[in-house]
Amino acid sequence: MAAKALNVITVCGSLRKGSFNAMVQRALPPLAPEGMVLDAAPSFAAFPLYNADVQGATGFPGPVTALADAIRNADGVIIVTPEYNFSIPGGLKNAIDWVSRLPSQPFAGKPVALQSASPGPLGGARVQYDLRRAMVFLDAFVLNKPEIFIGSCASKFDEKTGELKDEATRNFIKQQLAAFAKFIAHVAAKN
Amino acid sequence: MTDKQLDVLVICGSLRKGSYNAALARTLPSLAPPGMTLRTAPAFAGLPVYNFDEHQAGGVHPIATAWADALRAADAVIIVSPEYNWSIPGGLKNAIDWASRMKDQPFAGKPVALQSAATGLLGGSRMQYHLRQSLTSIDALMFPKPEVIVAFAAKKFDEKTLELTDQPTRDMIKLQLEAFEKFVRRLAPRG
Repeated sequence: MAAKALNVITVCGSLRKGSFNAMVQRALPPLAPEGMVLDAAPSFAAFPLYNADVQGATGFPGPVTALADAIRNADGVIIVTPEYNFSIPGGLKNAIDWVSRLPSQPFAGKPVALQSASPGPLGGARVQYDLRRAMVFLDAFVLNKPEIFIGSCASKFDEKTGELKDEATRNFIKQQLAAFAKFIAHVAAKN
Repeated sequence: MTDKQLDVLVICGSLRKGSYNAALARTLPSLAPPGMTLRTAPAFAGLPVYNFDEHQAGGVHPIATAWADALRAADAVIIVSPEYNWSIPGGLKNAIDWASRMKDQPFAGKPVALQSAATGLLGGSRMQYHLRQSLTSIDALMFPKPEVIVAFAAKKFDEKTLELTDQPTRDMIKLQLEAFEKFVRRLAPRG
């Protein structure tokens, strides 16, 4: 099987403009191995809160199907997220909840990698282990390692440009993305 | 503080009408000890997904304010929630995320008990362990046991009326609410 370009989408768990995790998301393309193309996924900001009655009455909202389609069409998904209250931000989890209800559930069999940045010392470890748990139920293939926990993150970005300047972090990310490319090839359904 | 009537707020994590968890929440007043009065929390259904920029620009959303005010006024809280994708429903977590960002953060020092119903074997317990973790991080006083984990819910509620008909479950809830009352009176500084 000749190497084809891998299309990977990135989902950011924070909505704010100045988000450190959004800065990480933007830092990824130049750190990706050759042959991996990264694109930001459609936003979940406008998703209503999940309600099965809404799903039954009016179907899946447009933004939900847009995100689900992007996940389905991608070879892999990278989730870059902050930790809110020791766990998954409600908005991100709500998006996962909506998408999980679609027939032909898009995370099933999908390679997923996780990253998190936090001003605190653990770098988002708790949110990632909680996300792993949700991904087990969704039957996704989550890359085990390398793990990316960017702790004490404020000093690792350029104050003005938001560029990820910490060299060690950049190297870890490079290693993870290279491992993710191999992992995607390894678990991809052989058609 | 022994003789004051306890004012307990009940929060339901599901939005749909036919929810087993909503049915469970409705059962509680008939099973509560006499010293405990139960109130339903204002709805969080229309609360937008948390975005720090919107919070800064527009202040706390009125739905979040109403929810938090109800929390602050209560002596204790009972959260009755389903499990979505092995974790906390995004909508409920989003409301908690909003509350966590407020001055006079409403969960701090608040006694909280958990309940869940689910049609499967584990009865929503995975959600409960995540919720404990998350609320502990914002200084809630999590009531340890007895736990109320209602498995195989479809068999335990009347198909038409959604009345909780399973007697062992009703007995377990009574035990929990009695123990929760003792826990609240032991801890609560209000008087």
